[in-house]
Amino acid sequence: MPEWKEEIRKRLSRNNLAPAQEAEIVEELAQHLDDVFEQARRSGATEAEAKRAALQELAGDDLLHREIRRSQKPAGEAPVAGGSGKSNALADLLHDLRYAARLQRKNPGFTIVAVIALALGIGANTAIFSVVNTVLLRPLSYKDPERLVMVWEDATRHGYPRDTPAAANYIDWRDQNQVFEGMAAIADTSFNFTGAGDPERLEGRRVSANLFPLLGVEPQIGRVFTAAEDQPGAQRVVLLSYGLWQRRFGGDPGIVGKALTLNGESYTVVGVMPARFQFPSSDDEAWVPIAFTQQEAASRGRHYLEVLARLKPGVTLAQAQSEMTTIAARLQQQYPQNNADLGATVQPLQEHVVGDIRPALLILLGAVGLVLLIACANVANLLLARAAVRQKEIAVRVALGARRGRLIRQFLTESVLLSTLGGIVGLAIAYGGLILLKAFIPENISQAREISIDLKVLGFTFLISVLTGLIFGLAPAIQAARFNQIETLKEGGRDAATGGSGKRLRSLLVMAEVAISLVLLIGAGLLINSFLRLRNVDPGFRADNLLTMKVVLPEPKYEELERRSTFYTDVIRRVESVAGVRSAAVTTNLPLYRQGNSISIVIEGRPAPPPGQELIVVTRVISPGYFDTMSIPLLKGRPLTDQDTSTSPSVIVISETMARRFWPGEEAIGKRIAPGRVRSPEDWIQVVGVVKDVRQFELNADPRPQMYLSYRQADFFAPRDLVVKTDVDPASMAATVRKAVWEVDKDQPVSNIRTMEEILADSIARQRFSMLLLAIFAAVALVLAGVGIYGVMSYSVAQRTHEIGIRMALGAQTTAVLKLAVGYGLKLVIAGIVIGLVAAFALTRVMSTLLFGVTATDPTTFTLISLLLIAVAALASYIPARRATRVNPIIALRYE
Amino acid sequence: MPYKLSQMLDRELKKGSAELLILSLVEDQPRHGYDIGNLIEQRSRGRLRFNVASLYPLLYRLEKRGWILGRWVEKAGQRRRRYYRLTAEGKKVLAAQRHSWQEFVEAINRITGLEHA
Repeated sequence: MPEWKEEIRKRLSRNNLAPAQEAEIVEELAQHLDDVFEQARRSGATEAEAKRAALQELAGDDLLHREIRRSQKPAGEAPVAGGSGKSNALADLLHDLRYAARLQRKNPGFTIVAVIALALGIGANTAIFSVVNTVLLRPLSYKDPERLVMVWEDATRHGYPRDTPAAANYIDWRDQNQVFEGMAAIADTSFNFTGAGDPERLEGRRVSANLFPLLGVEPQIGRVFTAAEDQPGAQRVVLLSYGLWQRRFGGDPGIVGKALTLNGESYTVVGVMPARFQFPSSDDEAWVPIAFTQQEAASRGRHYLEVLARLKPGVTLAQAQSEMTTIAARLQQQYPQNNADLGATVQPLQEHVVGDIRPALLILLGAVGLVLLIACANVANLLLARAAVRQKEIAVRVALGARRGRLIRQFLTESVLLSTLGGIVGLAIAYGGLILLKAFIPENISQAREISIDLKVLGFTFLISVLTGLIFGLAPAIQAARFNQIETLKEGGRDAATGGSGKRLRSLLVMAEVAISLVLLIGAGLLINSFLRLRNVDPGFRADNLLTMKVVLPEPKYEELERRSTFYTDVIRRVESVAGVRSAAVTTNLPLYRQGNSISIVIEGRPAPPPGQELIVVTRVISPGYFDTMSIPLLKGRPLTDQDTSTSPSVIVISETMARRFWPGEEAIGKRIAPGRVRSPEDWIQVVGVVKDVRQFELNADPRPQMYLSYRQADFFAPRDLVVKTDVDPASMAATVRKAVWEVDKDQPVSNIRTMEEILADSIARQRFSMLLLAIFAAVALVLAGVGIYGVMSYSVAQRTHEIGIRMALGAQTTAVLKLAVGYGLKLVIAGIVIGLVAAFALTRVMSTLLFGVTATDPTTFTLISLLLIAVAALASYIPARRATRVNPIIALRYE
Repeated sequence: MPYKLSQMLDRELKKGSAELLILSLVEDQPRHGYDIGNLIEQRSRGRLRFNVASLYPLLYRLEKRGWILGRWVEKAGQRRRRYYRLTAEGKKVLAAQRHSWQEFVEAINRITGLEHA
């Protein structure tokens, strides 16, 4: 008889079996081959044929080796059933993944629905997180930005907790403090850039020479300012922004050292800042040294600076604040006239840059978190339903010895696979969503342009995807692992999850979905309500058919009042002669745009108010046609007229709030006031008229006292804005009106051409942004919740088809059956609404800063939203119930 | 049976049912590997066949799971052989597998209408 053992050993050599085990296998297999050989010989084969037949049993060189290796693996073919105790985590995971992938492919409908729900939730989270990441989390692009702070005057008594400091105060702070490495002042300015093509208005800043070293930024080419250049009377120098350098000089590398004309004066270019540099605003295109004049440096009455400082290493914000409070208190003692009640407050630069979008963003982040929870609940419900269908599979596995932990792991692998798919699709949704988002994000969020999906965002998406999978997978997994095996086998595969805990769990999930979407809907409802009220606020003027533009006169050229007046008079006359223009006017500041000027006044016959209780009045210098052009109604007296000139007595028109507050119960007309202090009898100005309030700063703030002076009489502020009432679409008039201005002075820049309606819309852009996003998320939540309720009701009705069939066969009316099914759904929904109302009552309080005109617990919103949700839920329960009643009782009865 | 179908059955069904077949064959009495292989071939009238390279590893795997137990037995006048018998756990598994196999076959039959053919 041939010897087989060598052949067998050769094949087993790579298996590295224990010698004893190998010997046994070789013996057993050799015997088998002997038997085959003998059998073949007995049936008449030659020795060679019989040997070949026996060797064929070994089937090539590799099969035995592979099969033996597989048989040695602990988990082997049936991973979940593997009850040997030992297990290989990685192999299990791979196997579970393969199994899960197969399962998803087998149920494409289920997979698609689940992935879409998850993708919506994860996508919304990714999009909002990338905004939060860029705006709130990413450090500013300066050196050690966490040590940079803004220092403000604290003028809370006047309603300005963070007021722009006066120069003399800034200088005292700078010289007396021990906590800052350095302090720099910044002042708003703008330049008329002429002598090279079209005249242009440039936004810019006067800055301390040490601002750039303090920020830790270097110029792209050239140098920054020297301390010597930051002195009055020094040679005029300018730093250009990268954008201006490219736009107007074609990126000329030889620009440094060249001269350009700003405000009619010659400035030497010393450098160009890098493209990414912006401080404080991305609008700035040129910087010049601040070089305080002596008069400026002594002023404590004009508050117009922004002050940046860098904390010394190791100094905390609190230490800096306490030092500044001490210095401010000293200045109060020293200068009671100006500094009474004036504190100083230190604010991290990051907080200043981010501004008041922070609460809105955090609320949105919370909202998308809730949307994701609803998506989780939906998918958990789907999985529960599927787990019910898979009871038999689980029963067999448990029968074959699968342990509970192993089963749970298998289920979790499946859910995490689902959520990861959802995450991938969600990323795509987030990418598209961000493009939309950027279109809506308010322009005054300076980092808005930089919002993108970076590694941190990707990490976040991955993390929430996995977490999501664990959250929504856990309930079905535990549920599946806990069910009663004997019961299931006995029932011959009847769904164990239809009764008892499975049903309870699904009901709970529906309640949770309803509760969460109620919270979101109420939040969105409150914001929509606020926004509508905000839009309906009467701004005090009519914004339609108004075109506005900035026409800022360069001071050297138009220093005297007379020259300015002539220019404006000419411009107004010229513009009003253009076809399609009804009227034109100028003003120092348009409403709802930039803050503008306020001054303190004294009233004739009353003692000057004590320091800290000055009468502050928003002051606008206008041309007489302003009230007509803006449609601001005159309530009493007369408007300003062309007869109010520099030679006639000074007059003002005041707002109703000013009249009411300063002369309560008295006639304001005829009273006299003076700006600042009275030095001579000519300083008194008489009130001749009262007009309706205008919301100068924000739509959602109460109007403050305001007064209007004629541009022919007021020397201290020069008008900057031209406003034109048109008969046609105002935007279409822009070019013609600008040409009319140039006909008066061809070197006069015209900038910021916008319609008043745009300005009005921009002033509530932040509110629109929050409202729109929250509304979108709430709508997604409502749809998800509706689908969730529909799914659960469909399932529960399908489970009860038999019962419904019996009822119908026994003569139950369709309506009675409908009532039964819809009633069950509504019971769940109402329970959810009660929970949601309690949660909303607690949660919407965090929104109160975003609300206007409604309280965070507005009963109308709460009621309407609850009713809306009940209606959606009723519909979602009605459709499947209706379907059930249409079933033929005979079929229903047979349906098992 | 056409060649192609037989190949397919061989491959797919064998994979799914081999465990069940082996468990069933050792249910009543202990058997050695050659015996099991022969019985499968005979009772399936030659349609199912396991070669040594797949049969024994399968036996080892079932043994490793504790569903069958192999033991060397020497009978008078014969060489010693390894006999496999069903364990208590194997009995449970066999019941469950039989049940689900029956259901599977019934389901297939119901769909394909084979029982009326």
